[in-house]
Amino acid sequence: MLGDSHKAQEVFHTTLREAALRAAHGELPKERFWLFRDARWRCLEATEADLQPESLKLDEHDLAPHAASQIEQMEPTQLAVWISAAPDPQRTALALFYLDEFDYKEILDLADLKLSELSRFLVQGRRQLQAWLDGKFPEATNV
Amino acid sequence: MRTPRLSRGQRALLNCAPINQGKLTDRLMRAAVSRAADSPEFANQQNLDRAVAALVTLIPVPPETAEWFAEKDLVVGSKWTWKKIVRNPAVLAISIAVVVIAGVSVFQVLSRLNDFPGSATARKLLTVAASTRPVMLDPVSTEAGTLSDLFFMKHGLEHYDVPEEFADFRTIGCRVFEDDESRRIAQIWLAEKRMQLFLFPAERNTKTGAVLRFPGWRYVSQEGWVGAVKEQSGVCFMAALRGKETDLAPYLANQKE
Repeated sequence: MLGDSHKAQEVFHTTLREAALRAAHGELPKERFWLFRDARWRCLEATEADLQPESLKLDEHDLAPHAASQIEQMEPTQLAVWISAAPDPQRTALALFYLDEFDYKEILDLADLKLSELSRFLVQGRRQLQAWLDGKFPEATNV
Repeated sequence: MRTPRLSRGQRALLNCAPINQGKLTDRLMRAAVSRAADSPEFANQQNLDRAVAALVTLIPVPPETAEWFAEKDLVVGSKWTWKKIVRNPAVLAISIAVVVIAGVSVFQVLSRLNDFPGSATARKLLTVAASTRPVMLDPVSTEAGTLSDLFFMKHGLEHYDVPEEFADFRTIGCRVFEDDESRRIAQIWLAEKRMQLFLFPAERNTKTGAVLRFPGWRYVSQEGWVGAVKEQSGVCFMAALRGKETDLAPYLANQKE
């Protein structure tokens, strides 16, 4: 989320330290995902002061039947960069969804999103990824 | 194949459909997915999602990030000691409850071990003995053994005989009364250690009416009083006094069985 391992480590340690302090005082929140949510807000705060990416209108294409074969040609790090380049909260939505660890209700809870917002971010993300794939691997498009 | 008509909510749900169909736990989501299961658009979405999710699992974790988790315990919790376990309110409450339940069970088992036909009545009569005052009885000064005739002649009570172990003791008074089950009870007060004797009908089998017999002397105790009970000819005799079994034992010719 941060694109900077030092900042990420700082957020990680701060989050854990805060959690340990809360646990020591018996003040741990009862909601399930408070630690994830806490860490996410710290990440967002840490990036606030950074240079913000220009908001670009990315191309969007309809999903193609051969998208899976296009994705197979991608490097994992390319995907990581592509997701981390998305503006938040779309970045959070895509990251949590494709981790495949949480169901949609848990993602809504974690990222403080509404169903319509999550739906929109995922649809946009898929269509933008398809457009990027079509530009990057055009030969697979013609197979 | 045509895409089925979906409401806006169903479309939104479908866009968030889980990558793994095994995670379809939500009823609304299940309904939306089943409606769109055959549509090519949804098939494309699922194919893309599965491919992306598979690629995500291959994203390498940076070595510096992996180091954060090298330690097995990120935050070491305090160890549970025996002292801590014992002081835990839940453990304490459960332990007390178990001890109480075990105590009650043992008490009930022990009580049952000493039970015999008529023991319940005998215990009730010990309570009567504890609350009886001499003025409540008709004054009679004689030998206890001779009262059998009185009970038969005056009250029509057959076999209300005082056993020979107690027949020679002097009496202070006696009476005949009915208990709460309308059974006729004979009560004799002795001068000897303010002992009281009771004669009451022995318990009978509710179906056959046969007397439920038991051999020898049996002890019962209640609220500091002790009684020695014996059955003979369908009548139970009980000698009762305030004290322990050892106070009554010398009066009994035969040992308790």
